[in-house]
Amino acid sequence: MAHFIVNGQRTAHDAAPETPLLWVLREHLGLTGTKFGCGAGMCGACTVHVDGVATFSCLTPVGDVDGLAVTTIEGLSPDGAHPLQRAWIAEQVPQCGYCQSGQIMRAAALLAENPAPSRAEILDTMSANLCRCGTYNRIVAAVQRAAKEA
Amino acid sequence: MAAALEISRRGFIGGAAALTFAIGSGGLVGIAKADSTGFGPNIWLRIAGDGAVTIVFPMTEMGQGSSTALPLILAEELDADWDKVRIEQLDEDDRAYGNRLFGGLLYTAGSSAVMGYFDTLRKAGAQARLALMQIAAEHWSEPVKSLSTEPGVVVHAASGRRMGYGEIALLAPETMTVPEIADEDLKPRSAYRLIGKAVPRRDVPAKSTGSEQFAIDVRLPEMLYAAVLRSPVEGETPEAIDEAETLAVPGVVRTVALPDGVAVVAERLEAAFTGRDLLSATWSETSPARAFDSEADLAAYAEAAADPNRDAAVWSAKGDASTAIAAADRTLEREYLSDYAYHAQIEPMAVTAAVDADGKGAEVWAATQTQSLTMHTVTTVLDTTPDRVRLHMLTMGGSFGRRTALMQEYVRDALLASKATGRPVKVVWTREDDVRFGAFRPAAAQRLRAGLTAGGKLAGWHHRVATPSVIAYFNPIRWGQVEPNDIISMRGAENKFYDIADLTAEHVITEARARLAPWRAIGASYTAFAAEAFIDELAVEAGADPIEFRLGLLQHNPRGRRLLEKVAEMAGWERARSDTALGVAFAGYGDTMAAGIAEITLDRDSGMIAVPRFWAAVDAGLIVAPDNALAQVEGGIVYGVSSALKERITIRNGEVEQSNYYDYEILRANEAPEIAVHLETVDAPPTGIGEAGTPMVPAAIANAFHALTGRRLRHMPFTAERVQAALA
Repeated sequence: MAHFIVNGQRTAHDAAPETPLLWVLREHLGLTGTKFGCGAGMCGACTVHVDGVATFSCLTPVGDVDGLAVTTIEGLSPDGAHPLQRAWIAEQVPQCGYCQSGQIMRAAALLAENPAPSRAEILDTMSANLCRCGTYNRIVAAVQRAAKEA
Repeated sequence: MAAALEISRRGFIGGAAALTFAIGSGGLVGIAKADSTGFGPNIWLRIAGDGAVTIVFPMTEMGQGSSTALPLILAEELDADWDKVRIEQLDEDDRAYGNRLFGGLLYTAGSSAVMGYFDTLRKAGAQARLALMQIAAEHWSEPVKSLSTEPGVVVHAASGRRMGYGEIALLAPETMTVPEIADEDLKPRSAYRLIGKAVPRRDVPAKSTGSEQFAIDVRLPEMLYAAVLRSPVEGETPEAIDEAETLAVPGVVRTVALPDGVAVVAERLEAAFTGRDLLSATWSETSPARAFDSEADLAAYAEAAADPNRDAAVWSAKGDASTAIAAADRTLEREYLSDYAYHAQIEPMAVTAAVDADGKGAEVWAATQTQSLTMHTVTTVLDTTPDRVRLHMLTMGGSFGRRTALMQEYVRDALLASKATGRPVKVVWTREDDVRFGAFRPAAAQRLRAGLTAGGKLAGWHHRVATPSVIAYFNPIRWGQVEPNDIISMRGAENKFYDIADLTAEHVITEARARLAPWRAIGASYTAFAAEAFIDELAVEAGADPIEFRLGLLQHNPRGRRLLEKVAEMAGWERARSDTALGVAFAGYGDTMAAGIAEITLDRDSGMIAVPRFWAAVDAGLIVAPDNALAQVEGGIVYGVSSALKERITIRNGEVEQSNYYDYEILRANEAPEIAVHLETVDAPPTGIGEAGTPMVPAAIANAFHALTGRRLRHMPFTAERVQAALA
């Protein structure tokens, strides 16, 4: 069986290698915090980290992550208290909440690379992820808050 | 105080208690509930021996935040300890909890949560508090009047005795009487400690950790997955299918014929999608929908709007608009158009059903805006009764009107697939399914006509909207009750905030030429565009400042005037700009008023408009959850900017031409305006907030475009091509 590292744990699966990583995470492994939105890399709801890089799991064949480290929203922090998650609560970002796992994972990759991003840099990076409820300004505020408090 | 009412006690053992109230005309219906979960003063709450208070949430949650706001209202009057409040989703079609603004249906729409339940929940909370005080009074042998409450505790101040709500629940007597709650028994607003305060939403932590459960997240033992191949044109049926390749896909179990498509059922989701992609069907070719063509159909609507002989249903009428316009010094007439728009909620349709072995019952996990109509769908499809249905109403990944129909085909398909296979089945739509088989805000053609006096005052207003009836399409039962008044198609055209003595608004009910549904702000999303763009044209014609012209129409409406003055101040309306321009609009939703100013920039070469800033002042009466109210207005503005600039569904030969976010684009973070919202604090009943941010936006942008270029945009969305055409 093929395997990859999910949230720090070596995980075997029997999905065909062309299967989107998203389905393996959500439906095979039950990690439903990562969402399906478009299947086309247009909305970012499925964003996870592959070896630390923000990645559309809907476009990533699971065979491509053999042996690699995948981090999902469930593994971002042991207790759900990553600085971004605390900031998301402090700024009351989510409305429907469906896109927010992907938003947080995108923002986490940004802060890992650029701990003090400008507003323009935040907007540029976060534009890969759609939010239909229109929480964009609160997302910016939360990323800035997390950058300050991290 | 009205009639005294009786509570009886049954089977009260330890923490397991159930009391029954019968309540008179105060809006609470007496329902006996005997269970082991605590003291149930009325249908809305239970108090457990440990002091935990469970409050029923009668609506469903799609992001609007009423799953926090409604229980908060009850908790306020109960004087509950908010930290001990648990919120319980209502999973039944029990009309005792119905939304009075929707005739008692369980229905989450129309920004109606707080408005519809404010009085009921306050009285339910106050009544429960009084019941607790009566029990304590009897226990202490003190008069009820000598007691008071602090959060979660009844207090006898004179003796210093205190008893928690949980302890009191354990003391509930066999029978007792409590009075009905009258308005004067409710807290004065000055005493509120939850309503109007900064109380965080309850659902935010789970939505920040990925643990919130949406309909698409359901996983059950033995569950199968289904993907559905649907007729590309509404009204066609599969006449023949070639399923050999589909059945050869490892994991595909079988296909299931549906009324308008074929479900591919598989052990794994990826197999269902692969199998669906390999399925070919021959469709019937008899549907009249094959002639649907969005461009030609909108042109026909425009002809209907312009044809005075075409019948129209009067939506609103005051005075005599025709005479007033005929007598005016000058008249102006303009046409405004708007295209179909798609909800674009990020969660595609997904439902799980487990049909019972006899095919006459089911457990269903769904996320819709209505327990009542989801139940209607299930009982209709299975030809059964509600007692055989176990519903689970999950959180929606956005909805904006998408999940409201009388017959919910995504629910139907899961039921039929489960019934055929004898196993639980989760139906998952792809984004392409969700766009192509979406139900849309209708296209509309509007003609506005008005007169101006020699002094530049408005004289007569005629607003004619040619668009289909949304209600007739998505809920024919409801249409039978309200025809020809379609609030979903027409809201906003009543133009009730301005003082216009002679006004006619009318609905030319055109043929539906697409699947239709309510869409955030319903009719106001386009009627306010036309009305407020037209007001701007009138102001220019009258030689008046657009804000002054509107203020002149708000002499009788000081709350409305205040909003316009406030937003002008916020935006710096008087300050000249060099590369940008401002546009104003005054709209709102229902009884909620909103004044907005957009600042736009324009790339003349590409025809791209950007909206870097938006200011709004909103009066929604009493605000229960201020921070969430701001969030709703912010989101509504983003939704409005997105629809005004980008969103357009087109239909050719009956097929929707768009399929995903690459050809139906919605606003991204780097395109969203910076937003400042002022919420008025007023001593008035709550009027709803969820949709109030949207209607003002398109006109504010169009009016800013005129301020910048001297040209008008009268066809929404304002795509680059339309902008270039306007500049040519």
